[in-house]
Amino acid sequence: MTPTVATQTAPSQTSRPPVLELDGVYRTYPGSPPVEALAGVDLRVEAGEMLAVVGPSGSGKSTLLNIMGTLDRPTQGRLLIEGTDTSKLSDRRLSGLRSARLGFVFQSFHLIETLSALDNVATGLLYRGVPGRTRRAMAQTALEKVGLGDRVNARPTKLSGGQRQRVAIARAIVAEPSLILADEPTGNLDTATGDGIVELLTLLNADGSTIVVITHDGDLAAQLPRYVEVRDGRVLSGNNTTTDGATPPGSDR
Amino acid sequence: MKDRSKLRGRDVVSTSVVGLRSRRGRTVLTALGIAIGIASMVAVVGISSSSKAALIAQLDSLGTNLLQVQAASGGLSVQPLPIDAEPMIRRISTVQNASAVIDTGFEVQRNAHDETLVGINALGATPQFFETLQVSATTGRPLDDGLRSMPVVVLGDVAAVRLGISSLAGGPTISIGGHEFAVIGILDKLPLNPDLSRKVLIGDRAAVAMLGVAPNPTAVYVRVDPDLVATTRPLLAPTANPGRPAKVEVSRPSDLLEARAEVDQNLQNLLLALGGVALLVGGVGIANVMVISVLERRGEIGLRRALGATRGHIRSQFVLEAALLSGLGGMLGVLIGSGITIVYANRQDWVVDLPPGALLAGVGAALVIGMLAGFYPAAKAARLDPALAVSGGLG
Repeated sequence: MTPTVATQTAPSQTSRPPVLELDGVYRTYPGSPPVEALAGVDLRVEAGEMLAVVGPSGSGKSTLLNIMGTLDRPTQGRLLIEGTDTSKLSDRRLSGLRSARLGFVFQSFHLIETLSALDNVATGLLYRGVPGRTRRAMAQTALEKVGLGDRVNARPTKLSGGQRQRVAIARAIVAEPSLILADEPTGNLDTATGDGIVELLTLLNADGSTIVVITHDGDLAAQLPRYVEVRDGRVLSGNNTTTDGATPPGSDR
Repeated sequence: MKDRSKLRGRDVVSTSVVGLRSRRGRTVLTALGIAIGIASMVAVVGISSSSKAALIAQLDSLGTNLLQVQAASGGLSVQPLPIDAEPMIRRISTVQNASAVIDTGFEVQRNAHDETLVGINALGATPQFFETLQVSATTGRPLDDGLRSMPVVVLGDVAAVRLGISSLAGGPTISIGGHEFAVIGILDKLPLNPDLSRKVLIGDRAAVAMLGVAPNPTAVYVRVDPDLVATTRPLLAPTANPGRPAKVEVSRPSDLLEARAEVDQNLQNLLLALGGVALLVGGVGIANVMVISVLERRGEIGLRRALGATRGHIRSQFVLEAALLSGLGGMLGVLIGSGITIVYANRQDWVVDLPPGALLAGVGAALVIGMLAGFYPAAKAARLDPALAVSGGLG
């Protein structure tokens, strides 16, 4: 498979802070002995980037995702979202930050089965205090963006796996977050369907969304403009450059 | 920093409704526990209130202005009332009517050769008796002035049954103290004076002349102006027996009826307590189901946290879910309880009286119980680590 490389036209980094910046992040789970899931991670994601974080299970990539998504806090080190240091923020502030700036896509979709596709997508705005009518209108637009404009009233149970993941992606983008975090977005899908999802994410990226995909799938990672590899809690290798001219990966696994 | 999570009030409600809708069977079954508690409490309150309303209606129709004056019982010497007690009482301006009765002490016989019927006594009564007690003979005629000293008798309803007399056909007679009395009437039931059912009434003069009893009244029944019962009552004893007012006892038969209804209060409290226990069990059931629900819905909770829900949002969602669940049960319970009350009251021929306050209190109590039951599971849900919840892992 020949990966398509979208050349990043990174915005001038002086005027705008990175969307996400991990600065010497450690995450240790208490126990005997304590488990060091992340052992000093530095990572920057600039606005408009699309990045894969690849690693086998147990590598710490899930912990990394949780830290990046502010669902978990570093034991040591800092996470900055668009220049805001999150380590000092209260749980309530972090919730607010998630509602405004982060969008999540999960391997298992996490759709609410009693709600239609439209209402599921609208929950992406629920905790923003957006009125219901506006939420639904924006959800409609988001569903059209992911190619499900004709299935707005379908319940998740009536949708295929690929369609469900598209609904979940629409939910992640509906609030127009600064960063979309996708955790194994193709993990529950067959290859063809998964490729469709990657294509959709690439399109959204081309449209301006900043996307981080967490995956164990090297082939998937290789399709993205940039990837980093995580192993034993450290960012090991990859074409870890934030500038343009990234060389297509694919052989370095 | 302006990034604030915000959940609109109506969205809090709709979010909780979604949670309940997605588990319909469980929602209904859980609500049923509360419904049973509320239903039993509403039914207890409704039935007792309807019964009370029926009693009050009955008292209203019977009148609460009938007083009974009699020689005080107790002590060794019962001081009989003076002979002129009735005319004296009648002189009080607020007294509408009065009638003296003399208990002859004679038990009646079907005929002179038959055994006496224990407990069926002859009572001499003045002609105003029927008007004062507002009764007329159901069958036949009452005693009047012209029959005051004649050997005629009107039977109380129970006395008539004991004597085997159900109609006046064939001119039935009975024997009192060896004298033959012609039966001229049979009384209907007297709800306020059930003791009179077991009496047979003869003229007061006939009692004195034929049976040789003292002319002193045993009791005087007094019908008083309904609005002036309270002011008239204290006048009766000194008027009936000016020399020894302390030896006179004044009572109100309707009070006895009311008192009998009040005895049910204990039973009512017991039933209410049982309903309360059912309600409590229902509340525990809700707490239980909510705890399970929180465990099952880790993924949803994690998702909502990822979407920006604060701990407070999660907490209020689950508290409200519990409250709605319970409120639903409360409304169901009010409906069931009202239904039971209506059916029961109709069977008893009572007017249905469902106090609106009790119905509101039913739903309100259910809501409160639900909220209390929801606090613990909701706190558990809010405390969930979002990272663990999102991954659906246990932790």
